Amino acid sequence: MFPDIRHPRTYVSLLLLALMFVVPLVGNTPVLSNLFVLLFVFSALSVAWNIVGGYVGQLSLGHAVFYGIGGYTATLLTQNYEISPWIGMVVGAMLSGILAVVISYPTLRLKGPFFALATIAVLEVVRLLVIHGESWSGGSSGISLPLNIGWKWIIFREKINYVIIAFALFLFVLWASWFIRKSRIGHYLIAIREREDAALAVGIHTVRAKITAAVISAMLTSIIGTFHITYLTFVEPASAFSLELSIQIAMFALIGGLGTVAGPVAGTFLVLPVAELARGWLSSVGNGMHGLVYGVILVVVVLTIPRGLAGAFGPAISRFLENLPYLGSRRPAPTPAPEPERKLRDSIGQPVLKAENLVKRFGGLLATNNVSLTLHEGEILGVIGPNGAGKTTVFNQLSGFLSPDQGRVSMVGQDGQWVQCKKPDEFAHQGLGRTFQIAKPFTGLTVLENIMLGAFIHTASRHEAEQIALQVAELTDLTRHLNIEARSLTVGGMKRLEIARALAIRPHILLLDEVMAGLNPTDIDKAIAMIRRIRDSGVSVLLIEHMMQATMALSDRIIVINEGGVLVSGTPKEVIENPAVIEAYLGQEFQDA
Amino acid sequence: MEILIQLVINGLLLGGAYTIISLGLTLIFGVVRVVNFAHGEFLMIGMYLVYLIAAHLGLHPYLGLVPVAVILFALGALTQKGIIQPLLNADEHIQIFATVGVSTILLNLALVVFGANVYRAPAELGTGLFNVGPFSIVSGQLITFVVGIGLAALLNLFMHRTYLGRALRAVAQHRYAATLMGVNVYNVYAIAFGLGAAFVGVAAGLLAPQYPVFPTVGTYFVLTAFVIVVLGGLGSLYGAVAGSMIIGVVDTLAGYYIAPDLKEVVYFGIFLLILALKPTGLFGAGTE
Repeated sequence: MFPDIRHPRTYVSLLLLALMFVVPLVGNTPVLSNLFVLLFVFSALSVAWNIVGGYVGQLSLGHAVFYGIGGYTATLLTQNYEISPWIGMVVGAMLSGILAVVISYPTLRLKGPFFALATIAVLEVVRLLVIHGESWSGGSSGISLPLNIGWKWIIFREKINYVIIAFALFLFVLWASWFIRKSRIGHYLIAIREREDAALAVGIHTVRAKITAAVISAMLTSIIGTFHITYLTFVEPASAFSLELSIQIAMFALIGGLGTVAGPVAGTFLVLPVAELARGWLSSVGNGMHGLVYGVILVVVVLTIPRGLAGAFGPAISRFLENLPYLGSRRPAPTPAPEPERKLRDSIGQPVLKAENLVKRFGGLLATNNVSLTLHEGEILGVIGPNGAGKTTVFNQLSGFLSPDQGRVSMVGQDGQWVQCKKPDEFAHQGLGRTFQIAKPFTGLTVLENIMLGAFIHTASRHEAEQIALQVAELTDLTRHLNIEARSLTVGGMKRLEIARALAIRPHILLLDEVMAGLNPTDIDKAIAMIRRIRDSGVSVLLIEHMMQATMALSDRIIVINEGGVLVSGTPKEVIENPAVIEAYLGQEFQDA
Repeated sequence: MEILIQLVINGLLLGGAYTIISLGLTLIFGVVRVVNFAHGEFLMIGMYLVYLIAAHLGLHPYLGLVPVAVILFALGALTQKGIIQPLLNADEHIQIFATVGVSTILLNLALVVFGANVYRAPAELGTGLFNVGPFSIVSGQLITFVVGIGLAALLNLFMHRTYLGRALRAVAQHRYAATLMGVNVYNVYAIAFGLGAAFVGVAAGLLAPQYPVFPTVGTYFVLTAFVIVVLGGLGSLYGAVAGSMIIGVVDTLAGYYIAPDLKEVVYFGIFLLILALKPTGLFGAGTE
């Protein structure tokens, strides 16, 4: 629940936070109090935005809608029913959460600019509706809060009380963001941002994860909105549902570093004071000065340090922190627990995966034509066929990435019963792992984190996921590379990472899509040995492969697919001698020759 | 019935102005694959320039739009060369932030230079009304409509009949393949961005007789333009024209039959529906 206070990263952060709080307390002037309330409010808004904008990578430019809902809900409840804004804060957060669900469903599959435009549209719609509802909302001229003084009403004469509340709320939002980032859902969100299909393959329910993030982010934003608007004692549609505010929130996070816990705070503390100074000193020039400062900083940042302050200075700060002492004795480095006992198989058992009469059309192309196949327990089944024969299409239907037009896929699930799954993450939860022909690592994460994302399917604990990942890394020969970013692996390393990530979900069925393509001969020998080890540990393997010798050596049975249909199936020897296979690969002339 | 026809006429004429703005937006997206969030601010700058030329040189906005279109072409090309080009391979969100940054700069620059005051370019031609049977038509709107359709036709000819147009389409379809065919992709991008900006320069001149200029005027038009190009299919020229007409008519009908202050709610609602159900728009994501 809380960070390890003995770690230098934690105690330095806490010291900085304490400093942020002490400065306005000691200074205690109205100007300073106002500045720090603003800093805490904007930091909190930016941190909350970052959960959606940074972790999931969905660029919302309409986040002010939740800020405004928080503010309006509390103001209206106070004004009409004399209900304390503290309660209004909770009600507003709930409304915002509900709105976030409503917005999320239709916009889930939107990316980049389309998502941004959709959020702007939602913001505009809500703003116009609030202006239209003049009878209850006060229309475009807004509403003032009744000035009841005291903690119950969050209205004070002494500005310092605002600083205390703003700081407490800011700490809460920051903690929430930290907690999400460090827990399973945070890893899932980043996996979705990096590669949505690979996230599905390791069993992540991407819809649920995205909506959870959207709801949390919306509720936190709304809470801060309630506080800030109560602080201003006035709310109007133009400033509460403002595109400019939405952009500012997002901008602070970008400048600090998207997707990091501390980045949005750093961005706010650096940029906001500069803009406020510009507003103060240069007010004679015109009232666009602080906005101009924001715009210029934003353009300069994207052109020079697109990964923000965290990207530019993060590594140096990390190195500095590493050199600080750890207070107390460190936990001993975790040693991998012994691999769980699995019954070794020396013979081929019952069927575990069945495809019956699969048909798949892409427009006029019959990509899969009545394909049936069965994978048995403890078996290695090879699927071969010329380029474009439809192997990967079959494969995608076996793992839920494509749904067949006709026919069905069924597998033996975790509890030993036959099940039929619809979506890739359901297949993964039933114990089916797969790799991708073109490796799809979560590029920005380390090798260890990549494997852990698979392991999270069975445990919410980081520690346990790490243990499983370490074991799998050992099996797939990745132990030496655990702490480097996945993008810097070699081709062979990426292919092994694909297998490792699939193995980390502890599958009993493993689908391998050309994991040996592009490897050098030494690596191929290693890969063959590795696949044998995997099978011997009790996993049934279906592999698509172009490396004929490897397939011949590994497979118990081989299925040849050509032009979307099953051409031949049998033992490697039967298949290789079959005239139809030779014709499919090499053409009629070769056979005649 | 007469009211309905009058409303449809007004809507289509309004669609003419939207057409010009949307063509620019969709051209930039279609070729450069960047959504230009600063498009509205380009329009605003154009309208200020038209105003300055009209107020100080006494040139009617319809004539003033020629130099303004040229200036905006330069502004667009410069934006592409200076800001978008270095970010071509960056993440999508960085490109969004870049154009949002440009938009913020231009908007606030206008605030600093002109303040929040509202200016209106002096113009006689383009403000009058005339009647066709029972229906009345604002002359400026009709002129805008004719020019809008004319520009769309010209752009279509340009894209299909000239080498440069074909180069634009080639780059839109595949950046690297176009490079291999000897197209200078960076110049093509700058031209596309410049043309897109020049379109709003033309729009600025045509809108000036009817609309005053103030720093946030662009936001009003460009949000509508975003709705239009997404409705028509981002990158599709036909889609931009058809979308403009649809939204123009929706605008006037919703303003009359629902409520004047809710017409935007109606088309933003349509916008969200399109995004949710068919994000490629009515005319697909083609680049024709």
